[in-house]
Amino acid sequence: MFSFFGFGKKKSASVAKDRLTIAIMSDRDRTNGYPFMDEMKAEIMEVVQKYVGVRGVEIRKEVDGDIEALAIDIELDKNA
Amino acid sequence: MGIVIAVISGKGGVGKTTATANLGLGIALNDKKCVVVDFDIGQRNLDMILGLENRVVYDMVQVMDGEANIKQALIKSKVSPNLYFLAASQTKDKSVLDSKKVEKLISDLKEEFDFVILDAPAGIESGFEHTIEFADAAIIVVNPEVSSIRDADRAIGILDSKSAKVKKGEDVLKWLIINRIVADMVEGGEMLRSDDILEILNIKLIGKIPEDKGVIEASNQGKPVILDKKSIAGQAYARIAGRLCGKKIDMKNVEISDSGLFKKIVGIFK
Repeated sequence: MFSFFGFGKKKSASVAKDRLTIAIMSDRDRTNGYPFMDEMKAEIMEVVQKYVGVRGVEIRKEVDGDIEALAIDIELDKNA
Repeated sequence: MGIVIAVISGKGGVGKTTATANLGLGIALNDKKCVVVDFDIGQRNLDMILGLENRVVYDMVQVMDGEANIKQALIKSKVSPNLYFLAASQTKDKSVLDSKKVEKLISDLKEEFDFVILDAPAGIESGFEHTIEFADAAIIVVNPEVSSIRDADRAIGILDSKSAKVKKGEDVLKWLIINRIVADMVEGGEMLRSDDILEILNIKLIGKIPEDKGVIEASNQGKPVILDKKSIAGQAYARIAGRLCGKKIDMKNVEISDSGLFKKIVGIFK
């Protein structure tokens, strides 16, 4: 009986901590991190535009285990 | 020039308005001039907790729209001459708030008061963003419970991206209140410990409030629980208000129940 409810079973607070840690990590990734993203986008656009026409810039923060990366997509404007 | 503190939570029903009322009064009892402003447009509640619901004539939206001046709209507390209250609008919808008007209202209040405390609406919609935009600091209220903590993290995320201070490259101060702690449950491993919550949210703690039936009793009567010297929640609010006023007050461990403490003492003599 005891082994059923007490021993050998993880306490619910520690289950809560594990679940929360994972949920919050994935929430933070999705909201895409940095407050300076818009500014950075505008600056990248400006630099690239010196050489070639740009239609838009997309930046995503990607997290894979311990590695964090910024994926930057620059869509070119063929007509420019 | 006063400090502006937004009281936020993400999730509703965690004790944000109770915290605003008690900290406002606690600060006033520390001889600082304090105003508490209800930013929860359409869901006015701070007036009830403060026992001032019959005194409301003008609300903050009328002040922002120039239909009343601040002096007419500010309501003086019955308990402390240092505490004033500005009511939320009950009739108009949330879209009435506008950044420029909010900024003007807050800067006017900062001139007059040492502390300007803003009770944010629940959720993370536009009303919330207006509350945090011009704040110097935020108090985040959570319960030791998964949905409250997760929602608080999202609210903190928005604070970090929408705060005018952050946009200027400055820091917005962040302090956590853990409300409704049940010591027996923490001891039994059935409730998250404050250390775990701090680790998950990664912010500073300013106080822990134990679960206390006195809080509801106080709200029944419109007398903030901080006035009840015997209430353990009231005492916890008094400690936090003291810390906000710059006093050095040690963190009390409310996560040990009296019986748990007794067991520990007995343990020493074994």
